[in-house]
Amino acid sequence: MRIACPHCGDRGLDEFVFLGDARVTRPMADAAEPADAFHAYGYLRMNPAGPTDELWFHAAGCHAWLVVTRDTRTHVIASVRLARDVALELRAVASTTEDASA
Amino acid sequence: MPDPILQPASAVAAWTPVATAGLSIDVRDDLTIAGIAPFRGKAQAVSEALAERYGLALPAACRRISGDDITLQWSGPDQWIAIAGRGAARDLEVELKPLLAGPAAVVEHSDARAVGVFSGKHARDVLAKGLPIDLHERAFRVGDVAITHANHIGVTITQTGNEPAYEIMLYRSYADSFADWLRHATAELTA
Repeated sequence: MRIACPHCGDRGLDEFVFLGDARVTRPMADAAEPADAFHAYGYLRMNPAGPTDELWFHAAGCHAWLVVTRDTRTHVIASVRLARDVALELRAVASTTEDASA
Repeated sequence: MPDPILQPASAVAAWTPVATAGLSIDVRDDLTIAGIAPFRGKAQAVSEALAERYGLALPAACRRISGDDITLQWSGPDQWIAIAGRGAARDLEVELKPLLAGPAAVVEHSDARAVGVFSGKHARDVLAKGLPIDLHERAFRVGDVAITHANHIGVTITQTGNEPAYEIMLYRSYADSFADWLRHATAELTA
């Protein structure tokens, strides 16, 4: 498997470290059921047969965090984005939703 | 009585014994290196300040650019390094800090790095034994920079000449490990 780092280009898997599901988000400390919320955040994971978003770290390269969309059945990678860009997008969406509900 | 004045030890002297016909190794103990990390949104301002002073803008990702008296090299997302000969006590940190005091953090790197230039007809083949990237001329050209590893030792490689010549830069404390690997990688040439 090779990952196309947005900074460095196509690189072998040996340069990257896998950091798990990119879709989990840390709950707030004042969540309604904090014990349940943190248990789910810490332990509960989907095991999809199909496309999944994963965090990878370009450890032996440019040290960028990446969100890799990969099909677990075929290892085909649909997209590689900088985790920073993904996080900023999510933040923008969240603030738009807040504005709409305000 | 030994000389009580401490002398700097070369980190890269251990690389040179494997040099042979077709593989030259030019150790660069004479460099001053400074890291440049522009603050958020300030890369353009840094680039303009450098262009005004040295005639060079910050290079794109995975690229290096050299002028008469300074080289600028990409060294990761939103990071660059400046490289020059130390000459008569030149110090790039001291030189760049006032110039970039507003838009960037400038950090001394000279003694953190071990640097050597590998050239000759065997240079590419020897390095290709340890580096996982494609060094063929269709994939890697003069001015190209790659941050990768050589036999698990983190290195930054830059092609500096068409012969070909490659500059290898790594953290100084790994220089001996790199020398060990180099000895194995060049065994077929030096035997």
